[in-house]
Amino acid sequence: MNEVVLKIENLTKTYKLGKRDVQPLTDLNLEVKRGEFTAIMGPSGSGKTTLLNIIGCLDKPTSGTVLLDKVDVARLPESQLYKIRRDKIGFIFQNFNLLPYLNARENIELAMELAGKFKEQRKQRALKLLAMVGLSGREQHRPQRLSQGEQQRVAIARALANDPAIILADEPTGNLDKNSKQEIVKLLANLNQKQGATIIMVTHDEQIAAHAERMLFLNDGKIIK
Amino acid sequence: MGILTRATRNITRRKTRALLVIAALSLALAMLIILPPSITANQEAAQKVIDDLTADVEKQALKLNMVATQIDCYLPIVLSFDSNTRPILYPLMNVTDYAGLSLIPDVTAVIPILRQDQWAQDEYLYDVYGIPLDASFVDGFPSILPSNITAGRNLQAGDRGVVVLQEIVANQFGVDVGGTVNILGQNFKVVGIQGRGSYQGLNQYNVTAAYMSLEEAQTITNTTGQATTFHVFANSIDNVGAIANNIKAAYPSLRVELATSVINEALDLQSRANNRMQEVQNTMNQIQSTAIVEISLVVAAQGAIILLIMLYTVRERTREIGILKAIGASNTTILGQFMLEGVLLSLIAGIIGIAIGIVVASPLAYLLLPHLNQIGFDLILTEEGILTSVPPAVTITPQLILLGVGAALLLGALGSLYPAWRAARIRPAEAMRYE
Repeated sequence: MNEVVLKIENLTKTYKLGKRDVQPLTDLNLEVKRGEFTAIMGPSGSGKTTLLNIIGCLDKPTSGTVLLDKVDVARLPESQLYKIRRDKIGFIFQNFNLLPYLNARENIELAMELAGKFKEQRKQRALKLLAMVGLSGREQHRPQRLSQGEQQRVAIARALANDPAIILADEPTGNLDKNSKQEIVKLLANLNQKQGATIIMVTHDEQIAAHAERMLFLNDGKIIK
Repeated sequence: MGILTRATRNITRRKTRALLVIAALSLALAMLIILPPSITANQEAAQKVIDDLTADVEKQALKLNMVATQIDCYLPIVLSFDSNTRPILYPLMNVTDYAGLSLIPDVTAVIPILRQDQWAQDEYLYDVYGIPLDASFVDGFPSILPSNITAGRNLQAGDRGVVVLQEIVANQFGVDVGGTVNILGQNFKVVGIQGRGSYQGLNQYNVTAAYMSLEEAQTITNTTGQATTFHVFANSIDNVGAIANNIKAAYPSLRVELATSVINEALDLQSRANNRMQEVQNTMNQIQSTAIVEISLVVAAQGAIILLIMLYTVRERTREIGILKAIGASNTTILGQFMLEGVLLSLIAGIIGIAIGIVVASPLAYLLLPHLNQIGFDLILTEEGILTSVPPAVTITPQLILLGVGAALLLGALGSLYPAWRAARIRPAEAMRYE
């Protein structure tokens, strides 16, 4: 369980905002071991989402290395990156980001369909995942017919669909009411403890972050222990 | 739930928009498949008009050839009555009194004709019409024979004891070709029937006559050696005027009639035919250029509609594209999905457009293209000035349906290619930020 799944070295991200150069991440170093539940906290604008996007291969660093399962994803072209996103990463977003025209099961299945899994296999796994997040019987519901907490559960199930190396949760409770917040973070903690899922969660809510086994602070583009 | 299901659901997500787009696209496609066959239909109609005109002109030319050198001479009708107080329509002339006609320079033939109307009590029945059936006359001057034989044969050189009956006369006698009629006490075998509405000679129309040899006509009407008309033929059309003047000088009592009216009529017909052909040609040119403009516009509009609607869709769904990429969709998958949506939209519209095309092909073609005046030439001759337009019938063939489907697929693919490419190129991190 001590294997390093993510190793970030000297990560810097610079981009232009109008005429101004913005550097949300400066010379950042981070190591995450397989099976760890890491919470990254920090004020808004501290670069939390940028860091998560880079780890999740949605964005590219300006310099530095991002070794995900020993592959430097910072150097990979887009033609390879989508496979990393598909196979190694599970994303959970603040606003769930389910596709509105697909029902709960189809949203989960889509991730597997993109990975080329067969229909029956997809269906079975989607139903199993829905049961796991406590949504058995709701598989035919489209997102607009689910509560926000339920939508986030579907999103978690989708993130798990292709059995990713790492789950990235960007403010997963940010849009939820108090009860749902607790349910979701418990679900994540449960996934980590019972199934050994590696989770990196970005949040600015200390109570939520307290569920993680490791808590990091991001300030001025750097990790402060 | 494959890519096709996703594309279909995305199209139906915005129902009103999809319906409007499909309506516009299907109308455009209907136009597209209607235009080619309506050009063909118009071309066929134009060809028919031209063929009819050419045939009419040829017929007229043939008639003109026969009568151009003909001069008819007869005594004017004087209001006098025979012993039974019936009007004398065709005053008799002694043929020998007019022997001088053949001595006039440039005259090639003088052919006496006898026409005697027959009555029963006060009722007019028919004319006995005698034609000298000498080989030199019959072969050299066919205009002296009845025209428009609809059954049997015409009179021939040397015929005796036979008649050609005009249809009405045949009906009066109740005989047909092969039958026998008794005319003024003599039996004749019916060898041919002349149709109604035929011209005879220069200006005689629909003569209800029994045509026979001159000798027999003279015998049965007791007019031996007499005639009612002389057909005088000139050796050239250039000499017709001079001959007519000579005849008038030599025989002041004769009325002299030339083929002028026939010539004028022929010239008139020719010029009207030319005008009409020009008109047809102009219309065809107009049809072609209009069709080219319309086809280009329709194709451009179709492509543009798909392009714009798909660009709008891509913009509207930028965030969704980000989500798809975040969960592992490749650029190719995104490209494929948006192209499929464009093609599907176009294809649905295509099928509806073809259905519209099949149902309203002819009226739509009538609206879309300039059209020929479809009235035949004969009608224009008799009812001058009445012009109506009838749209040519347009039929949608299986090939056109294939063309429509092909055009829909191609335009759908072309129109959505750029938007789909843009969708595929969207950077996921930016897309996720897009509100």
